[in-house]
Amino acid sequence: MTLQELIEKIGLKPLSKFQDRAVTGVYISDMVSDVMAGAKSGDLWLTVQTHKSIVPAANLVDVAAIIVTGGKAVPAETLEIANKYDIAILSTTLPTFPLVGKLYESGVRAR
Amino acid sequence: MGNIQFGFVVFEKCFQCNGVRTYFTQEGIAILGDEYREGDHFWHRVENAQSFRFELTCSRCGLRENYDDLMGLFFCTGCMSDCKVEFLRQQLEASRAHLILACGFLGENQSKPKQIATAKLEKLAAYFNQRRDPLRARIAIYPFDLEDGFAHCKGEFLHDVGMLSQTPVTSRQSPF
Repeated sequence: MTLQELIEKIGLKPLSKFQDRAVTGVYISDMVSDVMAGAKSGDLWLTVQTHKSIVPAANLVDVAAIIVTGGKAVPAETLEIANKYDIAILSTTLPTFPLVGKLYESGVRAR
Repeated sequence: MGNIQFGFVVFEKCFQCNGVRTYFTQEGIAILGDEYREGDHFWHRVENAQSFRFELTCSRCGLRENYDDLMGLFFCTGCMSDCKVEFLRQQLEASRAHLILACGFLGENQSKPKQIATAKLEKLAAYFNQRRDPLRARIAIYPFDLEDGFAHCKGEFLHDVGMLSQTPVTSRQSPF
C-alpha cells in the first residue's frame, strides 16, 4: 500500500508536497520523544500534535507521513518546514480511532 | 535503543545571578514556576519539556553507550543565511543528508551547553540511519556549537513543550 493509494481510499487530504512511497506500518503518539524512540521507517504517524517540531521528528525516524486527525488545523509554519524537507503531512476530519479502523480495513498493520 | 526513561528537561533561571541551567528529571510532573533557594542561587523553573534518555547497545558486540549527557537534538531550519550551521546544512543536503545537532546540558556557570563527544554522536547517527531507508537520505549528527548566533537561532528542539498545559502552545521562546 502506498501513500497515494491510502489518500484516495480513505479520503486523506495532503497538506504538504511529498513523494509517494510505501506505507509499512502505523505509529500513534502525540509525543515527539515517543516517536523518536519507537516509530519505524515507513510508518504512518497518527497524531493531533501540530507544532512544527513534528516535522524534524518525522524526518529523523523517516516516517512515511504524518496524519493529523480530528480535523485539527496545521499551522502555516509547520507546513512551511514540511514542504522544505518533503515531509508528507496529511489531514483527516476523522478522529484517530475510526481512522485506525479504516487503515486496518485497508490492510495497513502496526509492526 | 534501550533503558529508555521518560521524563522532563527542565530549564531554570536564577533571580540572583541571572544564570541558566538545564537538567533531566524523572519527576512525575515537572511543575513550571517552581522556585527554591540553593546556596547563593534562587532558582525559578522557566520552561520544561517532556523528553527521554536512553542508551544504545550494539547487537553484535554488546557495547553500551550512555546518552545521559544529551539534552536533546536540534534541527536547523535555515533561519540565518550567514550561519555556519546553515552552510553545513546546505553541504549535507547536497549529499542527501539531513543535519541534526546534538546539545548537551547547560551548567549554571556555563555560557554554552556542554558539547558531546563526536564518537558518541557518530554512533547515534549510525543508529538512526539503521532505522531509516538508506536509499532516501541519511542523518548526520554534529555537536551543537552555534556560538554567537545562538540568541537569534530559530532552530527547533525535538522536545515536547507544553504537553501538560491546558492552553495550546502557539509559539516557543528560546529557552536560554
